[in-house]
Amino acid sequence: MLDLILLSSHLPSSNLPYLFSAFAVSWVVLFGYLFYVNRRQHEMKKEIARLQKVLEDDQPEG
Amino acid sequence: MANIQSMEHTGSLGRLPSLKTALAAITGVMMLVDLYLIFMVAPTDSVLGHVQRVFYFHVPIAIMSFLAFFVVFIGSLMFLIKRTPKWDAIAHASAEVGVVFVTLALITGIIWARPIWNTWWTWEPRLTTTLILWLIYVAYLMVRSYAPSQSKGAIYAAVVGIIGFIDVPIVYYSVVWWRSIHPSPVVGPFAQADALDGTMAWILLYSFITFLFFFAYMVAERMELRKTEEALGRIRFTLRRKGR
Repeated sequence: MLDLILLSSHLPSSNLPYLFSAFAVSWVVLFGYLFYVNRRQHEMKKEIARLQKVLEDDQPEG
Repeated sequence: MANIQSMEHTGSLGRLPSLKTALAAITGVMMLVDLYLIFMVAPTDSVLGHVQRVFYFHVPIAIMSFLAFFVVFIGSLMFLIKRTPKWDAIAHASAEVGVVFVTLALITGIIWARPIWNTWWTWEPRLTTTLILWLIYVAYLMVRSYAPSQSKGAIYAAVVGIIGFIDVPIVYYSVVWWRSIHPSPVVGPFAQADALDGTMAWILLYSFITFLFFFAYMVAERMELRKTEEALGRIRFTLRRKGR
């Protein structure tokens, strides 16, 4: 029992902030990249829709 | 005229979800399970403590970056041989995702190193060669952006993608070839049979598979963006020809 207490007192539990920082940064970067890609996709599709309308408006009637 | 209907997701009621949607769903579920395994099931390392759990993200992320650059290598080679845009698109998407993964591998490694090695950075072989890997593939992306034309950019980038891949095995073998304070490999030809406790090993394997799906999903997203970029380019070209 004493051995367990002594062992646990040497475990670096104060490293928990580093653990959570590593996971937090991972999520921010991964989801940040996905957000960036999706946002560009959305903006480009809007631009395509706008330009297609310009093209359609240019078509001669009849 | 560009047809954007073919690029829409097929996800409405009565139709099968697209591959991308399926990958996103599978990845999401697997990642939730992975987090549960990492924090609730994986045993605490007796020497390094809880911070060792970073390993279940750091190692798969690093290996996925190697996979990404291998895909860039193959895509670049096939593009130079066949000159079909499909291979260039695969290489480009994989390179961008690979840069994200190697950036994360460096960051998670640095955060792990601070409490363990008492330093954020040291110029030891594994870290140095990984930084070089990051620089090579950032250069790949810059070459594409700054080339005088898209077609020349694809060719120059393909050359960088092929030559740059030489650094991937150097990164892996760096802890074997040179004196390094980085932990020895736990996967691959130089991993020792008893390198990992049984539970740690299967949780690490599960993490690998989870990140493999995540990698595939991210590449699928990036390739769809590329298709949209090309469609926008075509429609702008059409309008320029009409003088608009």
